[in-house]
Amino acid sequence: MSEWPDPAIDYVQAITDTKLILGHRYAQWSLSGPTLEDDIGGASAAQEEIGHVRQLMRELEAQGRDVDWLSGSREPKEFANAACLDQIDGTWSSYMASIAPADRAAWYLLDAIDQDDLEGLITKMGEDEYFHLEYHDARLETLADDDPETVQRTLEETLPQALALIGPAAYDEDEDPLYDAGFTDRPIAEIRESFADHYRDLFADTDVSLTDVDWEAPALDDWDETRRRIGTGAVAETDVKQIRGEENQLFAMN
Amino acid sequence: MKYEVFARINQGDDTIHIGNVTAKSDRLAKMYAHNTFDEEDWDRLVVVREDDVLEVTDGSKPELEVATNE
Repeated sequence: MSEWPDPAIDYVQAITDTKLILGHRYAQWSLSGPTLEDDIGGASAAQEEIGHVRQLMRELEAQGRDVDWLSGSREPKEFANAACLDQIDGTWSSYMASIAPADRAAWYLLDAIDQDDLEGLITKMGEDEYFHLEYHDARLETLADDDPETVQRTLEETLPQALALIGPAAYDEDEDPLYDAGFTDRPIAEIRESFADHYRDLFADTDVSLTDVDWEAPALDDWDETRRRIGTGAVAETDVKQIRGEENQLFAMN
Repeated sequence: MKYEVFARINQGDDTIHIGNVTAKSDRLAKMYAHNTFDEEDWDRLVVVREDDVLEVTDGSKPELEVATNE
């Protein structure tokens, strides 16, 4: 087990917390899809995300993080999940346009990690993520035809929040501390560009316009580098309570 | 659109029909098939548009009047 540079622990924590809340949201919405196949896909993705979380938590524990804290014994404002997962109201279209950017951003951050002892783990997660992301894009393409207003309105909010999870544009190859430390193989600025290009291409020939998306967010001065977001928002206490498994200890994570 | 789903478990096995999915695009049909028929570690999983299935029997039977010397 290699010793990570300090910012790397927060970086992996943000990926892990995003996956933890993603798994929770997938499960919550897995009986709300427009077809049975969508529900099956959501339930499957929920299990895979929680599987990833369990593996990543072991890595974080090995770096000194407390296992009870990792498993949910903490305040909502101590979770470093993508802000677009804090609360998902509205329709299934807005749900899909919220989880998709978060899942893709978390995968891009994970894929950028360049550590030999994590390579096998990340490769396996990538096999799962390929199908998550391909499904999201396939579904967003159809929703761009069926419900373009909701998709566009939601993405105008969630894409900048996912970009905040990735990190500020100022973290280029000269300024990104994790790239500089060799923990990642590409700077944040490059990851952001790939992320933005992907969504611009996906919606290029649709009725969804991304011209009003703030592609420059977050400003470095406003960015919380620990929670990888802007502001003090957080998941609800009820979400954390469910994640802790308080109501049924049989299903607690540890 | 309806899609027929075919799969095989091991290379060299027969590729068999395992079900169908209905989806709004080819891309979505592939993901539906992957998620819905996830009970095996398939070597190959494919979907075929129902419209692309070529009928052989075409629902008709040979007619008695067909002469053997035709």
